[in-house]
Amino acid sequence: MTTQRIRKIVIVGGGTAGWMTAAACAKILKNDYCAIELIESEEIGTVGVGEATIPQIATFNRTLGLDENEFVRETRGTFKLGIEFRGWGAPTDRYIHPFGPYGIDMEAVSFHAFFLKGHPDWTAETLEDYSLQAGAAKQGRFMRPVNAGNSPLSKIAYAFHFDAGLYARYLRAYSEKRGVVRHEGKIVDVRLNGETGFIESVVTNDGRVIDGDLFVDCSGFRGLLIEQALHAGYEDWTHWLPCDSAAAVPCASAGPPTPYTRSTARSAGWQWRIPLQHRIGNGMVFSSQHIDRDKAAETLLANLDGEALADPRFLNFTTGRRKSFWVKNCIAIGLSAGFIEPLESTSIHLIQSGVAKMLQMFPDRNFNQADIDRYNRVTAFEFERVRDFIILHYHANQRHGEPFWDYVRNMEIPDYLADKIRLFKSHGRIFRENEELFNDTSWFSVMTGQNIRPEGYDPVADVLTDEETAARLDHIRGTIATCVGHMPPHEQFIAEHCAFEGAQSA
Amino acid sequence: MERAHSDNAIEKIVIVGGGTAGWMTATALSRMIRNGRTQIRLIESDDIGTVGVGEATIPPIVGFNKLIGVDENEFLKAAGGTFKLGIEFVDWTRPGSRYIHPFGDYGLDIEAVKFHQIWLKLKALGATPYIDEYCLSAVAAKLGRFLQPGNDPRSVMSSLAYAYHFDAGLYAKYLRGIAEARGVMRTEGKIVDVDVRGEDGFIEAVTLASGGRIEGELFIDCSGFRGLLIEDALHAGYESWAHWLPCDRAVAIPCASTEEPIPYTRATARSAGWQWRIPLQHRVGNGVVYSSAHQSSEEALEILLANLDGAPTGEARHLKFIAGRRNKFWEKNCVAIGLAGGFLEPLESTSIHLIQAGISKLIALFPDKTFNPVEREEYNRLTAMQFEQVRDFVILHYKATEREDSDFWRYVRDMEIPDSLATKMELFRSKGRIFRFQDELFGEANWLSVLLGQNIVPRTWDPMVDAFDAGKIADQAERLRLLIRSTAEKMPSHQAYIDRFCRADFAT
Repeated sequence: MTTQRIRKIVIVGGGTAGWMTAAACAKILKNDYCAIELIESEEIGTVGVGEATIPQIATFNRTLGLDENEFVRETRGTFKLGIEFRGWGAPTDRYIHPFGPYGIDMEAVSFHAFFLKGHPDWTAETLEDYSLQAGAAKQGRFMRPVNAGNSPLSKIAYAFHFDAGLYARYLRAYSEKRGVVRHEGKIVDVRLNGETGFIESVVTNDGRVIDGDLFVDCSGFRGLLIEQALHAGYEDWTHWLPCDSAAAVPCASAGPPTPYTRSTARSAGWQWRIPLQHRIGNGMVFSSQHIDRDKAAETLLANLDGEALADPRFLNFTTGRRKSFWVKNCIAIGLSAGFIEPLESTSIHLIQSGVAKMLQMFPDRNFNQADIDRYNRVTAFEFERVRDFIILHYHANQRHGEPFWDYVRNMEIPDYLADKIRLFKSHGRIFRENEELFNDTSWFSVMTGQNIRPEGYDPVADVLTDEETAARLDHIRGTIATCVGHMPPHEQFIAEHCAFEGAQSA
Repeated sequence: MERAHSDNAIEKIVIVGGGTAGWMTATALSRMIRNGRTQIRLIESDDIGTVGVGEATIPPIVGFNKLIGVDENEFLKAAGGTFKLGIEFVDWTRPGSRYIHPFGDYGLDIEAVKFHQIWLKLKALGATPYIDEYCLSAVAAKLGRFLQPGNDPRSVMSSLAYAYHFDAGLYAKYLRGIAEARGVMRTEGKIVDVDVRGEDGFIEAVTLASGGRIEGELFIDCSGFRGLLIEDALHAGYESWAHWLPCDRAVAIPCASTEEPIPYTRATARSAGWQWRIPLQHRVGNGVVYSSAHQSSEEALEILLANLDGAPTGEARHLKFIAGRRNKFWEKNCVAIGLAGGFLEPLESTSIHLIQAGISKLIALFPDKTFNPVEREEYNRLTAMQFEQVRDFVILHYKATEREDSDFWRYVRDMEIPDSLATKMELFRSKGRIFRFQDELFGEANWLSVLLGQNIVPRTWDPMVDAFDAGKIADQAERLRLLIRSTAEKMPSHQAYIDRFCRADFAT
């Protein structure tokens, strides 16, 4: 029964996706389960710049058994409590999409219902008073959760900003220590079995033939194996997400790092700002139909905290997903699987989730189609739900008179998103669909932050009278304000736990 | 503007039909819709019998009772209830076969690898006992033991999950007491007419035989299978699943107990259906579910009477139904809960659960007087999904059979099944993998017990198991088995637990 076991996994491409895959396989498939080899070329740049993540990354790091302080130090990382969105609703609006929930459910009724009942004239500011993470973000504070019973301080949700290149390097060392073999080389040929169409081997520019049972395509957007060799096909979502280019540039910091990512809407896209210990990662995501690249770069350079530390690097992409992520004996992970702009910091999560699902559906050499079908079905669902959440940010805008924003506000949106907005508009309700990545807090945050106003609150909130509701809300707000006050400044927390030696001088 | 919403609050809820569905709904709404303005009225007629006989339930009932404020011991005492750790299926795979579908999990996962995958490998390597031995609920059930699971997640006791058997009529009566104390008004009467508003087709009022007219804004149809409001008045339509679930009749009878109640339900396959056995404190509930195309009511009754523990203690009652669901559970201002919403045979004891799930979803999507269609659509979508998931699980029991001894069993063994079920079975056959759709009622352990119990054997285990040292996992599994065995042996007997905490006055 065990003779069909996979004997060798070949990972094509280094970068974040390749090394995350290698590290997880090396950790989970232990006891000489199988050989794991990774091929990468130093000539091919990787896309990873300053990278922001979401709290699920803690699961990945825990699986690998990483020391969090060491990992933050090695990657010049900082902590992240959410994302600030500027100018996404109306041009002068701002709101924070925080990690962690708002308030607390009461009487088996969601907090959101009581919030809408208690604050008929709510604004983004009012809502932020009920989120520990939003409060701490605004004051530049951070600490990890502590064991404090029912206090919100026991449940601080956070993620990281880090240098993706350094993260890949860190995971490379981890993987190599656990037996992963790295080949330096560029792939010039992919050999398929004439009968089955399975990949038998890849050939490098110096003539080496590397064979394997299972191939993981981490070659990036072009999809060297999944597309060029296996022709999986690509579903284009540009009509919903018209941005197709980015320009990235690091700059010097002008103050202590903020414990949140910032995303600022611009005339034909948006600009990211990711604070690291030693610098700030910046970039502009834009639609080349609506603005030319020089103009985009000019706007980017005009909106930096400190001096630019390099020339802008340009990237092109087509938002969408591979029609099949797993074809025959090849699984695409990372940009080879699909591209969704980093507005909600999902790139690393989609990698990690791909790896987790691959291990969950791990094949043997029979490559049963039922397993492959499920992987493809679940992965497509995940991509599409993330896509819909991103589209929400564009669609719910009030930036009238800017052609890019007028287009996304008026375009047809996917049914799933339309239903979600309709349900919210009625009584402020949100239901999380099967294993959808973003939970009801996230949807509530962005919908309210971008001024979608429900017609009424959930009638079940009348289980508390107006006076009871007001008193309970006051109490929650007070508790959160007190807790925020207990948290140290972000830079102090880093200095005490995980500062990179050169952080001050760089 | 901001007060507009509250002014739209529903002020009159009318529940049509008592019985389990009606009184569960009344009790839950009186707990959750406490705004000082909404009146809840339930109309029932003592002339109309309710379907509820001995009812078996599944573990979510424990949480539901807590939510609506029902004390466990008090209600079991009032309803002659017993505890339930699972269901024993007899003769389903083939005559002579038996297995338990226990509540609670099997074994312990190791580094995210499912225990049953480890067990599949150990079994292939040698003489490993059946997977039941690694499930505390199954072991305790076979030993006739019961004890509350407790709250310590580190203790193996926390892996125990349970539900109840009770007299559904007495449960309804008990809930009625609670609901009435919370202000629910009960009107005795038979409904003879339903007034539907011309302009929008909403139900405006129902008229009683006595001539009284009762108006409402939200109507809950708990009138049972016929769907007095949802179907007779609003014509929601019905989707039949009889081609997958051909049983369309049941005959039920209570009998005297001849032994202490066992802490599990039994379902025994019969020539054209199956027989249930539900042990209560004071008697045993029994019934045969059968296909009228394959068996007459006389034959079914004969089989039932020939297979009772003790003497019958009442008359046999015959019931007719069609497996399926209402096309719309919520139409206009009427929500169908209970049999008015759909019917699935009680093979996996889901009737009460489908009631409670309907109530929970109604509360989650509770309307106001404007009745925005978006909430109705979401309710209908979620409820349809839930019915279909339960349906697939019930169909599995019929499809996965090796019986060839009657036309009925040959039909179900060879029939086409829904794609959703076929995919699940194929994933399991391939490498023993089971995936739960997030809100799916039955999880991995449930599917596993029936798939393995009915002899669907995976071709191989999950390859991830091979990353573990086989000797070490065998030792771990054996230690766990011994711990489960000794834990179960220390639990009190089911009868002793009942005697101590919840013995009914009428149980002799």
